[in-house]
Amino acid sequence: MTDPRLVHTVGVRAMEWLWDHRDGFRLEPDVDPEVGFLERFKPIGELASICRVLFREGVAGSRQAELARRLLDHAWRETLDGGRMLVRGQRTEPVSPIPFEVYLPFKELGYSQPEVERAALLNHRLDSWNFLEVRPTRLLGLSAFQRRFGLTPRTPEAEALNATWLAHTPEPWTADGHIGYDITHAVFHLTDWGEHPDGLPEHIADYLATWLPVWIDDWLDLRRWDLLGELLVVDACLPRPTLDQRAWEGFAAAQQPDGAMPAVGAIPEGEPDAVFDIVYHPTLVAAFASVLGTSRALTELAHSPA
Amino acid sequence: MDQSSTSALLQGAVRDLATGVASALASGGHDPVGGDTTVTVGTGSHTLAAVRVLGADLLLPHVLFGTPVDPDTAALFRKAVDAYPPRADAAPTVVWSHWAMARTLRRLDPGPLAGESGAEPDAGWLHDAPWQVLTHQLAVLAPLALPDEDHAVARAARRRPVDVARGFVRAVRRRDWVQAAGAGRWLTLLDGVPDTLGLEAGLVFTELMGGGDPRVALQVGAARRVRAGALV
Repeated sequence: MTDPRLVHTVGVRAMEWLWDHRDGFRLEPDVDPEVGFLERFKPIGELASICRVLFREGVAGSRQAELARRLLDHAWRETLDGGRMLVRGQRTEPVSPIPFEVYLPFKELGYSQPEVERAALLNHRLDSWNFLEVRPTRLLGLSAFQRRFGLTPRTPEAEALNATWLAHTPEPWTADGHIGYDITHAVFHLTDWGEHPDGLPEHIADYLATWLPVWIDDWLDLRRWDLLGELLVVDACLPRPTLDQRAWEGFAAAQQPDGAMPAVGAIPEGEPDAVFDIVYHPTLVAAFASVLGTSRALTELAHSPA
Repeated sequence: MDQSSTSALLQGAVRDLATGVASALASGGHDPVGGDTTVTVGTGSHTLAAVRVLGADLLLPHVLFGTPVDPDTAALFRKAVDAYPPRADAAPTVVWSHWAMARTLRRLDPGPLAGESGAEPDAGWLHDAPWQVLTHQLAVLAPLALPDEDHAVARAARRRPVDVARGFVRAVRRRDWVQAAGAGRWLTLLDGVPDTLGLEAGLVFTELMGGGDPRVALQVGAARRVRAGALV
């Protein structure tokens, strides 16, 4: 098992980078309608989801927790203008699930914007909203989000799961990069982002315990850091995480001195906003994997004989 | 002649031999004893070394179908065993592949072999090998993957079916078709291979993607024969 200090340090440095680059979480109200105003909301929702994991697991140091709190406040007050940008986004594209997906983790952390909630309640009644043609893992996520919001999912989660790749435990040698993300996202939604590892059905947990080491080995050697980070999260969601030492050492070594995690290979060069758009996600993932990995490592230590 | 062209000629000779073995395995058909299991062995200058490189698999059709080896092939095979004894510092795979050749010879063409006690080499290096290394080494030693064989390498493989399955997946994903085919041949012999591996389709995939290499065709053909329960 990897030294918990190594796992923890990756997350501390990632959070420092995210704080230093918080202005990269930006909306573009005047964007070309062909691109869509809602396109830039996703990073903010991911930031909130991962900060929520950080508070929940309770393994962050005081500096890390403080940065996470300040980042959230910044994102809510400045970027989302106290939630009013979510309302604006919903009015721009009324049946888009994005404002609801971004709002939910903020709501769970105590932030509130009643108009987004009213729109969510209406949309939940609409067949249009519930039969939007999205990837199966996203449909699974929408069902999970409806449950977390307090609604009965219109598509039961078991039914949504059945449409995913992972539910059918296919031939592991066929997994490519796209399938890799389908696997990780199915696990995130099944476990409520690592909160309920027992949300993984037993046959899926067994399947992942068997084949995850191969995928981790492979994407580590391919230097696909973003996907590797998500796979390290999946590992931490399993009943018996491996916290694979070689993978964690490689992941930590890929992180830059300022805390940025490259997506693939090395950090790109270019305009700060363009670099942010490439780097923010793997860096958020690094924070996520670090928090869950640290939490599981400490649990293991607590249960191992002195 | 420079070293690279020597190497290319040797590789070519190995491929020629493998083509012959793969073809003999495929032609065994439903009536293996009546099939053509004779491998045509050339007389080129690299043939002897190529026989040593291909190893015991040169005679695999005869082992599986119980057909007699023609005297010329047997003599060449014996000559290769005698000509390339493992050095004292040889890698374990070299020692074991030599042992496999000597064992095959004792089985099909009994006769004295210089310096051969028949004693089984040590397989301790496999016990703690990471699954990646275990599978790679087993694939190199694919000629040892035969039904009802009991030796230390087979026992090491039987102890770790999940690890060998992981190595198969790794080899397929890295498009190392020779390693995938060799690992697949071992997996057909092991109990406890996860059903989710999809081994049969995986072997077809390996053949489809890498079957242009006769060494791959040989191993996939061997795996099929082993799975079908060919005569030993």
